[in-house]
Amino acid sequence: MKKSRTGRSLLLMAPLLLFLVGFFVWPLSTMMSESVSDTAVLRLLPRSSEVLRDWDRKSGPTMAMQTALMEDLKAVNDDQALGDMVRRLNSARSGFRTLMSKTTTALADTANPPADLVSIDKRWEKPDFWLAIADALSPLTDRNLLAAVDLGRNADGAIQALPADQSVNRVILVRTFWIAALVTFACACIGFPYAMIAASLTGWKRDLMLAAVLLPLWTSLLVRTAAWFILLQEKGLINDFLQWLRLIDGPLPLIFNRTGVIIAMTHVLLPFMVLPIYSVLITIPKNLMPAAASLGAHPLRAFLRVLLPLSLRGVASGGLLVFISAIGYYITPALIGGPGDQMISSIIAFYATGSANWGMAGALGVVLLAATLVLYSVYARLSAEEPGRR
Amino acid sequence: MPMKLTKLTFASLTILFLVAPLIAILPLAFTSSVILTYPIPSYSLRWFEELFTADAWRRAIINSLIIGTGTTLLATVLGTAASLGLRNRLVFFRGSIRTLFLLPMVVPAVVLGVGLQVLLARFGLINSYAGVIIAHTVVAVPFVVVSVTGALAGIDERVELAAQSLGASPTTVFRRVTLPLAMPGVLSGAVLAFATSLDEVVLTLFVAGPNQRTLARQMFSSIRENISPAIAAAAFLFIAATILVGLAVVVSRSMLAKRR
Amino acid sequence: MADFIRFDSITKFYGQLCVVENLDLSIGKGEFVSLLGPSGSGKTTLLMMLAGFEQATSGSIVLDGTAINDVPTHKRDMGVVFQSYALFPHMSVGENIAFPLQMRGIGKAEIAKRVARALDMVQLSALSDRRPSQLSGGQQQRVALARALVFEPRVVLMDEPLGALDKQLREQMQLDIRDLHRRLGLTIVFVTHDQSEALTMSDRVAVFNKGKIEQIGTPRQVYDEPSTRFVAEFIGETNLVEGVVEAVQGQEATVRLPSGAHIVSALSGTVASGQSVYLSIRPERVDLTETRGEARNCLETEVTDSVYQGDHLRVQLQNATHPLIAKLGRRSREFPPGTKVYAAFSASDCRVIAP
Repeated sequence: MKKSRTGRSLLLMAPLLLFLVGFFVWPLSTMMSESVSDTAVLRLLPRSSEVLRDWDRKSGPTMAMQTALMEDLKAVNDDQALGDMVRRLNSARSGFRTLMSKTTTALADTANPPADLVSIDKRWEKPDFWLAIADALSPLTDRNLLAAVDLGRNADGAIQALPADQSVNRVILVRTFWIAALVTFACACIGFPYAMIAASLTGWKRDLMLAAVLLPLWTSLLVRTAAWFILLQEKGLINDFLQWLRLIDGPLPLIFNRTGVIIAMTHVLLPFMVLPIYSVLITIPKNLMPAAASLGAHPLRAFLRVLLPLSLRGVASGGLLVFISAIGYYITPALIGGPGDQMISSIIAFYATGSANWGMAGALGVVLLAATLVLYSVYARLSAEEPGRR
Repeated sequence: MPMKLTKLTFASLTILFLVAPLIAILPLAFTSSVILTYPIPSYSLRWFEELFTADAWRRAIINSLIIGTGTTLLATVLGTAASLGLRNRLVFFRGSIRTLFLLPMVVPAVVLGVGLQVLLARFGLINSYAGVIIAHTVVAVPFVVVSVTGALAGIDERVELAAQSLGASPTTVFRRVTLPLAMPGVLSGAVLAFATSLDEVVLTLFVAGPNQRTLARQMFSSIRENISPAIAAAAFLFIAATILVGLAVVVSRSMLAKRR
Repeated sequence: MADFIRFDSITKFYGQLCVVENLDLSIGKGEFVSLLGPSGSGKTTLLMMLAGFEQATSGSIVLDGTAINDVPTHKRDMGVVFQSYALFPHMSVGENIAFPLQMRGIGKAEIAKRVARALDMVQLSALSDRRPSQLSGGQQQRVALARALVFEPRVVLMDEPLGALDKQLREQMQLDIRDLHRRLGLTIVFVTHDQSEALTMSDRVAVFNKGKIEQIGTPRQVYDEPSTRFVAEFIGETNLVEGVVEAVQGQEATVRLPSGAHIVSALSGTVASGQSVYLSIRPERVDLTETRGEARNCLETEVTDSVYQGDHLRVQLQNATHPLIAKLGRRSREFPPGTKVYAAFSASDCRVIAP
């Protein structure tokens, strides 16, 4: 009887389990494998792959190597795959783009077949072009993951920092965490006192304060972003108001910059800070502060020694919730921010949809996913410890 | 009482910060101008008309309704069944399974979007309604699970035992006792699933083609490319719907409370 | 009385933990049996097995001559009343009571008639359309009772049904349930940890301890003739005094206390001379006298404390080797601490218990 009950439970969960494995776990692992897979070259050059295995990586190309590559290139009939391979090779060794187009054109000329590659272009004599091909033939690579944190391998294969002109990702990672930290800080500064005031009130006043938090929470994210777009623009209400007050002469730049992003994200994420703190605060008995006062504690001291430690758990979970949400934000920076305010999600989206560079999109995705999951596990532990919660 | 005044000022300013943007956008829905700024020259309904007649907006609204309905059905069925399964404490890895069910809520949408785009393309589901509904269901299902497991946890198991002892077979217990008691949770899960689908942009960007442009997606590109008061009109509809749903929830709750 | 319900060597394990151990129990038709014991003694588990909510690890349960181990709960035809009442919150009082009748496919008109009768029985006719949450605890309890009785089950099971009520209401309900039992000739199995409740209501009381029945008998038997130390201590208050059996004469034994005094006591089991035993003496059976009187048992003691408790005077005494408690009627005179008195009791008010 117990067994059949367990069986029924599993049967009930199976559809969602399968659905999530198929459309949640699998996509994520696909993304991860994209970040380490590197078959753009191997796919098209099977013969060269065989021959290059015996190459000493120093001397010039042997005839066998040239023939194999020519065979491989002649066999390619998929222009997109060829483009992918050329892009991959060009990123390892610049000059490949022109070299390849010249080579494929020559190979296509069936009336006048070239004897070897060197006769098409002298550059094929240089071992470093062959080295780039040889390195690109391995099906697995860590270059995307390394590149995601601005690292790369030098000619010897040792890991080193990329030159400054290629170090874009670390800047964006730092920026992402910095913006998320600022937003979390702003939310805590507003959210903690707000939750405390709400918890100290009763009746309609408390309801009003909670409704003011819940209404934006329930409202579409796009509507809220659009609203801030309207408020913050050059001729928006905020600038109008400040000018009417004669506090400023010309309009302040509030949109398409960091200020706008922080303001809008704080507005969007503030409820996630207020609600956990509020839910902790209302469980704290109301007579603790009077009790501390009766024991001789000054109100400020009583707050620091009694209320603050007890509500810290709420602040911590609220802060984590805000921070986790903030580091993955895409829409608000995309619409309110300028080019200098784009966060890691925007870069991932750019690699994925803009340049179809799945490897880099995947690698940055792995970094963001790892950061999110680590923080979430801390959050889950915090809320699991919460007393009196199922 | 300077302390009290400080508190009052702080609370009022924060409420203003939270609510004012939502209120400020509303009148602009009725502007006759083509730009989204105050002061409003004169009032008209032209942007609502635009919303319902312009091809892009009309299609977007219809798409949102189709995809939202599909997502709601799929997420509610999957989520409710799974929540019922999760009730059984004897199931191995119950905690891990539950975490898996809730994780889509946490994973950044862009990361999931990249993965789904690659995977759905392999299945030929990219740029299809089915693909978008699947993507939306992944992120909507945690809301259903949270809501339904909450409702189920509120059911006293002894009530179900009592029904058995009074002669109800397991299916009858489910039909007459468990399901009616879990219904509020199922319904609010469904509403949340619909709302999630309606508001979802990022996954839609990755998996939807031009034919599956949803209202949220249309608003996104409209803000980005050519912002017009149609945005305000759409926002007006969103906010009005939010308040209506909120009121409906409050009223039905108080009616339920009275009935009980 | 023919066995209507019979538990045959029932054992129940939760994982490694044995909660009911090789237990036998027979209950007659129309009998009111209480399962009394501390929490964790296995009494509720036994009830849950009878209701079909739990499966016995081994052994069989027989109802009216048929083994019911494999009969699912909904076909057992037993009315269960829970401590938490377990009313359906989404149904009205009337719908709650109609539920078991609907499950049995009874016609609408008949259901209406029987629901009305059941409501009348528990005096709730006016509240038929209310929701359970709109009722007081006592009213909810009566709805649960009506729901469990309306389909005329073969057995009624009650799991601490009065535990959540306040004292006054609880005592009223005890009498009401006892009255229903007599009027309707119900077979009732009643689980409780409250010994006075068990004594008040039952035909027989089964005292549970650590998954076993320590003693089963009428309220008078388990109170006056406890057969084990656990029963003596769990039911009511008692003085337990260690001693050694000197002689056994028929239904009486002479026991020598460490102080050297001799006590003649009634005997329920069998003991041998020279055996170490306990004597159980109920405090309200102890008389205090200033001179050594006629009583067969008389101990020299000194009052250490006395407390007036309204309906009785509670006197703490110290014998040469043992403390002793006496409960005296309210007409008794005061005994200030330090007073030398004799504690006297008859042989029949004293029991020898083998340890």
